[in-house]
Amino acid sequence: MPSLRSVPRRAILPVLVASAISLTACSGSGSSSSSSASGGKSLVIDTSFNLKTADPGRMYEQTGLLVDRALYDTLLTFAGSDVGKPVPALAESYELSKDGKTMTLKLRKGATFSDGSPVTADDVVFSLNRVRDLKGNPSFLLDGVTVKKVDDTTIELVSPKPNPALPFILPNPALGIVNSKVLQAHGGTQGADDKAESFLNGQSAGSGPYVLESFNASTQVVLKANDKYWGQTKPTYGRVVIRNVQAPTQKLNVQRGDSQIALDLSADQAQGVGGGLQVAKGASANVFFLLANHSAAVSKTTSNPKFVEAVRKGIDYPGLLQLAGEGSVQAAGIVPSMINGALPADQAPKRDVAGAKAALAASGIPNPKVKLEFPSDYTLNGLSFQPLAERVQANLKEVGITVDLAPAPIATALQNYRDGKEEMGLWWWSPDYPDASDYLAFLPGKLIGLRAGWKKGDAAALESAGDKAAQTIGDGRTQQYQQIQTQLNAAGPITPLLQPSQHVVTAGTVTGLALNPVWTIDIAALGSK
Amino acid sequence: MIRRLPEAWRRPLAVTGLVVTAAWLIVVVAAPLLAPYDPLAQKFPRLRPPGGEHWFGTDDLGRDVLSRVLYGARLSIPLTLLLVALSVVIGGLLGACAGYFGRWVDETIMRVADLVFAFPTVILAMAVAASLGASLRNAVLAVLVVSWPAYARVTRGLVLGLRTREFVLSGRLLGFSVWRSLRTDVVPNVAGPVLVLATLDIGTQLLLLSGLSFLGLGAKPPTAEWGAMVASATQVFDKWWVGVFPGLAILTVVLAFNFLGDTLRDALDPRTARAIKERAL
Amino acid sequence: MKHPLFRFLARRLAVSVLLAVGVTLITFTLTNLVPGDPAAANLGQQALGNPAIVKQFREQNGLDKPLPVQYVTYLGHLVQGDLGESQQSHRPVDADLAEFVPATFELAGAALVLSLVVGVAFGVIAALRRDRLVDQFLRVTSLAGVSVPTFWLALLAFYFVFYRLRLAPGSGRLAPTMTPPPHVTGLYTVDAAMAGQWDVFAGAVGHLALPALVLAAYTIGLLTRFTRSAVLEVLGQDYVRAARAKGLPGRVVLLQYVLRAALVPIITVAGLAFGSLLSGTVLVESIFAWPGIGQYAYKSATNLDLPAVMGVGLVVGAIYVVVNLIVDVLYGVIDPRVRSTT
Repeated sequence: MPSLRSVPRRAILPVLVASAISLTACSGSGSSSSSSASGGKSLVIDTSFNLKTADPGRMYEQTGLLVDRALYDTLLTFAGSDVGKPVPALAESYELSKDGKTMTLKLRKGATFSDGSPVTADDVVFSLNRVRDLKGNPSFLLDGVTVKKVDDTTIELVSPKPNPALPFILPNPALGIVNSKVLQAHGGTQGADDKAESFLNGQSAGSGPYVLESFNASTQVVLKANDKYWGQTKPTYGRVVIRNVQAPTQKLNVQRGDSQIALDLSADQAQGVGGGLQVAKGASANVFFLLANHSAAVSKTTSNPKFVEAVRKGIDYPGLLQLAGEGSVQAAGIVPSMINGALPADQAPKRDVAGAKAALAASGIPNPKVKLEFPSDYTLNGLSFQPLAERVQANLKEVGITVDLAPAPIATALQNYRDGKEEMGLWWWSPDYPDASDYLAFLPGKLIGLRAGWKKGDAAALESAGDKAAQTIGDGRTQQYQQIQTQLNAAGPITPLLQPSQHVVTAGTVTGLALNPVWTIDIAALGSK
Repeated sequence: MIRRLPEAWRRPLAVTGLVVTAAWLIVVVAAPLLAPYDPLAQKFPRLRPPGGEHWFGTDDLGRDVLSRVLYGARLSIPLTLLLVALSVVIGGLLGACAGYFGRWVDETIMRVADLVFAFPTVILAMAVAASLGASLRNAVLAVLVVSWPAYARVTRGLVLGLRTREFVLSGRLLGFSVWRSLRTDVVPNVAGPVLVLATLDIGTQLLLLSGLSFLGLGAKPPTAEWGAMVASATQVFDKWWVGVFPGLAILTVVLAFNFLGDTLRDALDPRTARAIKERAL
Repeated sequence: MKHPLFRFLARRLAVSVLLAVGVTLITFTLTNLVPGDPAAANLGQQALGNPAIVKQFREQNGLDKPLPVQYVTYLGHLVQGDLGESQQSHRPVDADLAEFVPATFELAGAALVLSLVVGVAFGVIAALRRDRLVDQFLRVTSLAGVSVPTFWLALLAFYFVFYRLRLAPGSGRLAPTMTPPPHVTGLYTVDAAMAGQWDVFAGAVGHLALPALVLAAYTIGLLTRFTRSAVLEVLGQDYVRAARAKGLPGRVVLLQYVLRAALVPIITVAGLAFGSLLSGTVLVESIFAWPGIGQYAYKSATNLDLPAVMGVGLVVGAIYVVVNLIVDVLYGVIDPRVRSTT
């Protein structure tokens, strides 16, 4: 059919060419149209979401802390990166009684919620009671604490035991003060029957520099400046879009100018961003650690102290730091370097292959084989667990230990971890509040200790040292925590590995960025040049 | 059934497919001899771009990418061949039974096949692999769950067509048993088309298997597996060599088998070829 | 007397309902087979150490009941149109789906349109130039399309087109500084066009282009190959030869007879290809940060968010059932023989 064949070439090719042209035309116009939509400067922050809710009473995830820090004021707060000293916020001053059980706070006058109504002592009582009694993720922060209104400007927090950590707990954005009248009108209560969450995911009810414009836990959160903000300095950016973007893409976006801040890049990713961008970096307060189960019921191998010693001496810590990249530091003890009570860097465990082999021989276990579990779908400061696990596996192989890697989605991995059934695990701890007492969870019979099969009474001396440290105020506190960590490093089932580096890349125009271990960055403190 | 075979081999696609397949099969056998380094050794500088010492560069743990790509063939190719063979046997048997016995046997088998077809393959395979727990064996099982119905449908269709054909009917009339007529009359006539479908399917299954590994539901680290290697490359995005080469490996293997399958199908008579195409979508 | 097509439809519909129930059962079983505890996935580390909080979480989500009871309860709610509440987003699952399904639909739909345009054009060209160089070239191209791993192509496209060449706009559905168009269909392109917001329309199309192209690679290959053989078959049929013999100009013959005859099977295949596009979104969405059900499904599945996973399973199953139904009806309309044998 020769004549048939000659026709369609002309008929069809133009269609193809036309469609190709329209494609390129569209993509061209799309990239150029990223101008500001509403009044005021707008800011785009890319971060890999770890977000469930904007309700401060239920929120306890990294991205939630970032968001709620901007929406809700707390009684006390931290200035910039300094988490060593709580500073006034809605409370203008505070006092801790000598026995450490009673904390008295004086409320600031003139603070208002975003609807213009004043922040009262009743709002404070309602908010804190609500968090404590919701049985939500942050409830533990105020476990056993009684909140009392003394008068219109005085609040008293009473703990059953000395609680020197309380001033460091109060800045947590989960303890943000909510507008009690608004909340009660929308199903808010001070207990488990509270129904205000969906309301708080639609709009905010706080006194912070921003209000919530829209919230979507899997795509993006939009904040806009609070017109009625009571504070001295108004936020620079009128609209802030926080988008859920995987770390590698964050880098590309900020390089292309699609976003102004890339929040959680790993050191590898932050390398060579160039192009007028700024990189803020520092060691993160997150600690990666290795768990070797202490319970003989779980493992005959890891419950052998000599085996754990071999592991601890077998790991190539500087090698792991190479993977974690520039800015990461070895965790000397379980308490991260920026918190009072951290072990000095020179006391960190060191690699000693010969010592590890000797310890392994002394353990009497021929050709030990262990299973190492870790979350496969989670990144912390842009760092995934898998390369670290693979390196640990290679390190221990040199010592003579065969490690079988068992990655699992975090939900699956967490269950075994929580149930204390893991033989070995690679996990992390983020501080709930920047005080060394948070790390007592690693002692026998406590939260993480139990997960490592370390029951109450397994190390009585260490446990009583922990109880003592928890109630110590002032002098000697730092030394007590350091001694606890030295003992943990010597005989505990936990081997602290490293604190990853935290790299935040910002456009050249963004100023005033400070990395904070609790809420990552304070959006309201950002400026522009 | 297979006509024009000799001339088919003269086609360039077929030759290319054959050569590339042969090359990869050599890699499968001889990877330890061909690979310059131990694929698991983390002893080189990290994230080196391709160059003299490391033709394909090094990955985020300082391993030689070329060695890992070569060793990856040892895992993916034999596994996929095994997988397809299993799908052919399981799907073929079930389909033949459905077509031959009809009635409730047919109804049951084909409704189960429909149910599998009611899910997108990747999503169902993902769900099965996730619920069995991430491991290479479970990923193979998951792919098997979604791959057998295609063979069941094709075989059933072919057997249905054959059942009424005279030579089969006469065999039955002569008093041959069911199994004998299946063996002597049906199987030989079904084998050709199914073989072609299987060749075309090798690529699909390899894609699915590596896709599962990409999602973290297949090979466990530190195994050198192509899909998993591409997955690790997503973390170090702008170091292109970490992901490009394992992906190219998948592409060339799949393409080569598809070239072969395509040529084989052309060599089949057109009616059967069309049946395969429609059923195998 | 009932029309045979009606009986055919009724039968297919009944089978579809059975399939839908099967889909819920399979989804429910698979999700519950996954080792792990939803409480572990949804509670904080400290809260997880508190049995009272864990107990409350289980009670609130009905996880304290035996599995068969949970399933029956779910079906009971489902009949009333209640899909339950997602454990992660704490929103009704249907609200979540209403948001994510259109995004995926827009992406898969764009890819389908792209595949139809390009695939059919390629296929027709290849058929008309049978065994010529163009045909050979398109054959290799289409084979490459069905052979390339989607996840890898997405990565490559993102790296080269987006990052190095900077041809495509950023990830997601729209530039973050742009406000989405008023919600009518949930498809940004359609909504923007309806509202007359042409800058938003351009932005949405720009964001759509690259992921849709990556997603379409497979179906373009598929459609090219199918169209080629469909057209070849039509070209070989007597009435086309007859039409030509009557002296009609070649172009008219082509458009009137060949395309029309080939189009129905092509559309049928396109319907089936829509399924593979939906599968592909799971792999493509994460790389392009596309907020669709692929990402939602993955996140829900890894967090053991049972109501959400069930919702996704139902939606995807329903789409499949509907598409299959349409395909079967098309077959039934075209080819009456099917009614008796299916």
